[in-house]
Amino acid sequence: MANATLTTPTARQDVPPMSRASAFWALYALTLRQHVHGKRWLVMALLFLLPVGLAVIVRWTAPNVPPEALEFTLAMMFVPQALLPIVALLYASGIVHDEQEEQTITYLLLRPIPKWAIYTIKLLAVMTTTAVLVAVFTVLTYLAIYVGTQVPAGEVAARSLKTASIQVLAVITYCSVFGLMSLLTKRVLIVGILYTAIVESLLANLPFSIRWITVIYYTRLIAYRTMSFTVPRFNGGSQDIAADAWQLDTASDPGLAEHPQLVTCIAVLVLTSLVCTAIAGWLCMQREFHVKTPEKE
Amino acid sequence: MHPELPNQVARPAEVTPVVAFHDVSKWYGNVIGINKLTLTVRAGVTGLLGPNGAGKSTLLQLATGQLKPSQGAVRVRGQSVWNNSTLNRRIGLCPEQDAFYEWMTGWDFVHTCARLSGLARGDARAAAERTVDAVGMTRHKDLAIRGYSKGMRQRIKLAQALVHEPDVLFLDEPLTGTDPVARRDLMDIIQRLGGEGKSVLVSSHVLHEVESLTPSIVLLSRGRLVAEGNVRQIRDLIDEHPHQIVLHAGDYRRLAARLLAFDDVEGIRVLSGEQGVMVETRAPDAFYGRLPTLYLDEGLEIKAVYSDDDNLEAVFKYLVRK
Repeated sequence: MANATLTTPTARQDVPPMSRASAFWALYALTLRQHVHGKRWLVMALLFLLPVGLAVIVRWTAPNVPPEALEFTLAMMFVPQALLPIVALLYASGIVHDEQEEQTITYLLLRPIPKWAIYTIKLLAVMTTTAVLVAVFTVLTYLAIYVGTQVPAGEVAARSLKTASIQVLAVITYCSVFGLMSLLTKRVLIVGILYTAIVESLLANLPFSIRWITVIYYTRLIAYRTMSFTVPRFNGGSQDIAADAWQLDTASDPGLAEHPQLVTCIAVLVLTSLVCTAIAGWLCMQREFHVKTPEKE
Repeated sequence: MHPELPNQVARPAEVTPVVAFHDVSKWYGNVIGINKLTLTVRAGVTGLLGPNGAGKSTLLQLATGQLKPSQGAVRVRGQSVWNNSTLNRRIGLCPEQDAFYEWMTGWDFVHTCARLSGLARGDARAAAERTVDAVGMTRHKDLAIRGYSKGMRQRIKLAQALVHEPDVLFLDEPLTGTDPVARRDLMDIIQRLGGEGKSVLVSSHVLHEVESLTPSIVLLSRGRLVAEGNVRQIRDLIDEHPHQIVLHAGDYRRLAARLLAFDDVEGIRVLSGEQGVMVETRAPDAFYGRLPTLYLDEGLEIKAVYSDDDNLEAVFKYLVRK
């Protein structure tokens, strides 16, 4: 270091061209790299191994449980209700907060990237990471449930792909909601957990219109309208376990005409994501992102 | 409150100011960061001096568009800076906080900053190579930043500010905590940048540092502009007070013994807890000039040098009273 040769960059007449697209892509790639370098994804992977482990344990200890029932319990109840909000909350809450906490946000604010774009691009990276986690572990869960059963592999593959797609849509929506929440409150983890417990768990399980404000309601409807959850009863016949568990009154409304159609459900989730992202982007443009400088400390 | 010093640096009136603050105030709740500041900074190197808490970092954050003025207007190159990300192509900031993506190598960090500035992959690679070399970090560029010394971190931080070749540079305490060799190197770089026609605003709470870089200074205290102009006037005031300098070294007791031999050292205090010594001198120029030889001739490795701002504070108090 002491012998380092020092020459300042020569004053260049032709400053290299700069493009916003390059800057945006670099920010997206940087955020993905941050996700890989953090320990968060390891924690998330361990959490997502829970349904895989549970599937193995149940099949080992109770081999008579129909795989369809196990699939519904794990992939349609446990994962969307518990894991998806948690993974989205943990990633989305750090979109801006992590950079502020680590005082690195300055390096982003000093680039030719508008603040709304910083937020949106980092949110897209969060969506990518969570979507990959969800898709990979959904497939693993299905493998743990169905490998070695009589169910044809093609059918398992189709169901796992449908489930993964539905859960990816749900986790993307949750990311947008929690991302916006992180700009509205400093205690986003507490607020997010309360939101998950009260809105996405309690309200979503009530058979009233109030559940129309929850993400999980539309997620369940998409699943119900695209997949079958009928399992054989032990004493003969079959049972629609989803209708019972999700409070869908198929006895008086077999086609669920009183509930939104498939396209509407998808549109609601996509629009929710877009609106939350737009509001969050607008908030970022109004906001100063303070970092703790040594002077302030 | 704003005594224009008599020997103010002559500046051509027709030149458009690079940075202009017009009646700018910045409040953090009830706390005033900047108080009704009107200031223009022209091309070349300008020193921004003030004790800790004077508002230097706030001023630089306002100038780089990170903060929105509570009142007044801040312009760089004639453009408003708040929410003007396009202007960032022409601005570089070396922030005060010692924060990085620690898992990156130095080269990776500078290259990433070049890419974030919108440079294409090839251009970014070339710019990173050139800039890392310019700050003397080529040998260490492939090491993770988390293993860097303070001086290396400051060099890399400066490199990220230069990598997209901005013509306006804001350097927030760039010499803080550096060893004498890094300090001298960084000062050389800053001076050369000024010589190349870039506009550089360097903040510091150490008059000696700024004096070595430029005669043109701006003095801040408690968010107010106290004075601006030629450093010599301030210098005369400061020399009335003994200058306190703290040095950290592994072998600090041998360092203390060696420093006692200097004629201009008036007092010395061993700081066992900090593994350092505090020196009082009325000839800081000569003192600082001798430090590199202590390492080169006697192998006394000095890890950090900083000046207490008590003296500067005293001058500020004097100026504010005036």
